[in-house]
Amino acid sequence: MASSSSSGLTFKLHPLVILNISDHYTRVKSQMNPPISSGSTTTTNSINGGDQQQNQLPPRVYGCVIGVQRGRTVEIFNSFELLYDPSTHSLDRVFLLKKQELYKKVFPQFYILGWYSTGSDAQESDMHIHKALMDINESPVYVLLNPSINHAQKDLPICIYESELHVIDGIPQLIFVRSSYTIETVEAERISVDHVAHLKPSDGGTAATQLAAHLTGIHSAIKMLNSRIRVLHQYLVAMQKGDIPSENSLLRQVSSLLRRLPAIESEKFQDDFLMEYNDTLLITYLAMITNCSSAMNELVDKFNTAYDRHSRRGGRTAFI
Amino acid sequence: MDSAIAQKTWELENNILTVENQDPSSDSIFYYDDVAQAKFQHERPWANDPNYFKRVKISALALLKMVVHARSGGTIEVMGLMQGKTDGDAIIVMDAFALPVEGTETRVNAQADAYEYMVDYSQTNKQAGRLENVVGWYHSHPGYGCWLSGIDVSTQMLNQQFQEPFLAVVIDPTRTVSAGKVEIGAFRTYPDGYKPPDDPISEYQTIPLNKIEDFGVHCKQYYALDITYFKSSLDSHLLDLLWNKYWVNTLSSSPLLGNGDYVAGQISDLAEKLEQAENQFAHSRIGPLVGPSRKKEEESQLAKITRDSAKITVEQVHGLMSQVIKDTLFNSVRQSNRSRTEQSDPEPMVEA
Repeated sequence: MASSSSSGLTFKLHPLVILNISDHYTRVKSQMNPPISSGSTTTTNSINGGDQQQNQLPPRVYGCVIGVQRGRTVEIFNSFELLYDPSTHSLDRVFLLKKQELYKKVFPQFYILGWYSTGSDAQESDMHIHKALMDINESPVYVLLNPSINHAQKDLPICIYESELHVIDGIPQLIFVRSSYTIETVEAERISVDHVAHLKPSDGGTAATQLAAHLTGIHSAIKMLNSRIRVLHQYLVAMQKGDIPSENSLLRQVSSLLRRLPAIESEKFQDDFLMEYNDTLLITYLAMITNCSSAMNELVDKFNTAYDRHSRRGGRTAFI
Repeated sequence: MDSAIAQKTWELENNILTVENQDPSSDSIFYYDDVAQAKFQHERPWANDPNYFKRVKISALALLKMVVHARSGGTIEVMGLMQGKTDGDAIIVMDAFALPVEGTETRVNAQADAYEYMVDYSQTNKQAGRLENVVGWYHSHPGYGCWLSGIDVSTQMLNQQFQEPFLAVVIDPTRTVSAGKVEIGAFRTYPDGYKPPDDPISEYQTIPLNKIEDFGVHCKQYYALDITYFKSSLDSHLLDLLWNKYWVNTLSSSPLLGNGDYVAGQISDLAEKLEQAENQFAHSRIGPLVGPSRKKEEESQLAKITRDSAKITVEQVHGLMSQVIKDTLFNSVRQSNRSRTEQSDPEPMVEA
């Protein structure tokens, strides 16, 4: 069911969607299994409750994803919940239209691009919802989030599926094919995600802590870059030694990547860069002058207050 | 081990609580107990103590939604509502949604337009499994700081009379992007005529000259609440994994380029304030008898200006540091190449 997609669309996913789905799932799960309240009288309940949790399957939640499609790029910005009845395979149309209208008022440029669900793998029954949405968007996308927490996992447990018409046993059928996606973000989103994820200092703090926070962020990013490059390097060395069969397409990609360095080399860039550098230095200079004049001013005032007895004449201070 | 200790220290310093009580995976904060909530509504412990609510807990999702919405408005103020519940002396914000109205600075009852939207949205939310009620409103002050203006104060006082418990949150998306950290403030107003027993210490922030009067007149009529954030275990897991793809964006962000206009505005505002301070100084020379008390005021004004200029500079320097690091990483390859391969190599492929 999951060969790679051939439609040529590139998908961009915003972190807000990921958090939305995760929150929806957590809410539903938490309402289904009320928290075990503290207190010794409920220990027996908690044992039962624990059993109950294990017996119940994690709930599946459903929702719609909205965003913008420009040419071949599909950018998913936001999402909202949907009501779906698994027993009758019916989607609540009225609800969907109502929600769509509400979201159109606030975000007029977003369209319904597809739907999402939670679970470990795409299932046959999902095709029903997919087909139901096809009258809104002729090629909806299906975002699947795997909510089981597996600490050994290194990759985001999110898959994006598209539907394609394949001929199986002589019958044309719609099946899900997997697509790749990238994470896209705007600056404000990045800062808030960073804030919540990496516990940056919440208030001003001193300049030193701000500097430390900023540099730590960049340091972690560079560390990631370094580790990725190391992986590539090891791979290439192994290929050179002959441990791994050499793969020409990969070698071509690596070579084109290396040729892109240095990133920019024109003189205009150097000029602009140095100008920006000078601007920042000028601002620093200005701030220092302001600082110094403020210190001087305080000194003068203190001096005057200390020596005020000696010069009573208006307009003439002891220190000019 | 070091990193584990460092993380614990961060968490302690910043009041970030991972949601756990006895059971680390319980995410119990997400459970909505409407019986307990109704009881709390009935009791109304806030009616007697204007300072009753002291803390706010905002979920990761609500924060992200509010900041993204505020930023999408650009330089126009936007507003929305927050949903959640109460917990003792804390207000918990679980989710937020945007309202299709623009700008609250000129209309007191902007919310009247949005009532229909609000009712519709709340209904659909309840159907979809979000059972919380509206506990507050948020709006943005793009570029001029997190505080309540005169109109905001009157709106909030009205809300606190009829829709308790209610919270006001202000976000500044421009300063968020410029400083690299989230600028947000949560406030509740005092009822008319109430004098707070002690002066609350609020964090200093620079206010542009054209708004400073509005700020000064009303700043005693409300108090700020402490904000902490929380996220579910699944959220933490996802955010950790997200970092694997996200580091690219962190490295490639260029705050200097995006914030040129804002910084220029800040500097010109500082220049005006300096002129004002200077004029005050000139006047004080003439009357040395009026001296001491006015001098103190001017000193603190000049000190404020100094602090502001230091803040702007620090942000600029951070931005420049990122640029220099990127330049060193990606551009200085050619020096080593050139020294090694001077004689016979063809021209580099990257032409201007």
